[in-house]
Amino acid sequence: MSPVVPDTVEGALLLSLIDFVLSIVMISGIGFVLALLPLVNRLGGVDEESLRKGEH
Amino acid sequence: MLDTLTTFFSALEAQTGLSHFWWGNAVMIAIGAVMIYLGVAKRYEPLLLIGIGFACIVSNVPGSDLIQPGGLFYYAYKGVALLIVPPLIFFGVGAMTDFGPMIANPKLVILGAAAHLGIFVALIGAKLIGFTINEAGAIGIIGGADGPMAIFTTVQLAPHLLPQISVAAYSYMALMPLIQPPVMRLLTTKEERLIEMRQTRRVSRLEKMTFPIIIAIVVNLFFPPVAPLITMLMLGNLFKEVLVIDRLAKTAANEVMNVIIIILTLAIGSTMQADSFLTFKTIEIVVLGLVAFMVGTGSGVIGAKLMNLFLKEKINPLLGSAGIASVPIAARVAHMVALEENPQNFLIYHAMGPNLAGVFGTAISGGIMLALLLPHG
Repeated sequence: MSPVVPDTVEGALLLSLIDFVLSIVMISGIGFVLALLPLVNRLGGVDEESLRKGEH
Repeated sequence: MLDTLTTFFSALEAQTGLSHFWWGNAVMIAIGAVMIYLGVAKRYEPLLLIGIGFACIVSNVPGSDLIQPGGLFYYAYKGVALLIVPPLIFFGVGAMTDFGPMIANPKLVILGAAAHLGIFVALIGAKLIGFTINEAGAIGIIGGADGPMAIFTTVQLAPHLLPQISVAAYSYMALMPLIQPPVMRLLTTKEERLIEMRQTRRVSRLEKMTFPIIIAIVVNLFFPPVAPLITMLMLGNLFKEVLVIDRLAKTAANEVMNVIIIILTLAIGSTMQADSFLTFKTIEIVVLGLVAFMVGTGSGVIGAKLMNLFLKEKINPLLGSAGIASVPIAARVAHMVALEENPQNFLIYHAMGPNLAGVFGTAISGGIMLALLLPHG
């Protein structure tokens, strides 16, 4: 059982670089998913009033 | 007779905490009292500071059984240490949050990552001054300005630093209206602060209902280390958005959240015992946390300015500072700084987008950190 990143300053630099770049990539991915979200509107609308009336 | 009395009183004193009281306890009791004062008189995060302050006072009275196994504060801490409390906080936050601004303007989501450079500056700084890499990772997450996420990461990477890191994270979140504006003004021109944002599109109910389900799948698929937090955030949000279980959504946002806040504050306060809290490390963590917040604010603003180099329709760079996760404080600060320049420029709705993205940004950073720093079999 061993951690991937060495416990050194170089390890901290490496971890920061990987984490920052991956964060940018992954959050861009979430942004891409969000950009596609309006496509669900093609499935039709939701009647909010009827949902509220049928509330449990 | 005198001997008997002396023995009697010695035995009685040994039963109390008096013989174990030292000046450190007095200092921590004073700190707890200041927290209660700030919560009551200055309204600085009263929901948090009053409970933390009280538990801090009680846990620094030697002999208090509440912090020993069998005591309520001990089990409150166990709730945090066993990672039950942080996901429940996210559950309540999800039930209170409208993700519409983030869904409406996906390009601003990137600011949720840009504003997290502070995490890495604090991480490297902590390593340079002698913290272990796991401790440095936990300290870095303070810069994400997300209290539950900081706790979640710290409990796994460096549980002994939980009191310092949680106190630093929540204190700076309360002080963001003082910390962020000077950095924001320093990095922007008046013309940039005056940029008005176009009204965003209306997000449909179906989109709002689909969003938590899709994100729950994505997060569990790609970021398992932080999936418990984000999944519960999405569950709370689904409860809110489906409209048919309003009763449960309100319970999650109010009753559950209130109970969990009580447990959380008692847990954090009870860890603030003098012998572990009054160390030079605490000062170092507090300073690194401040650096992380300031750098994060700056990197968010610079990230927004970089985006403007490529965008036809410019965005107000103040929005970048809202990429720090603290919801909705960071968005409110961006809004207030813009209002100072132009009382008609309402940025709050637009700033909520990057602000909510910041929650994801911090979770992703924390998840990557946990994946890389925790031992693997």
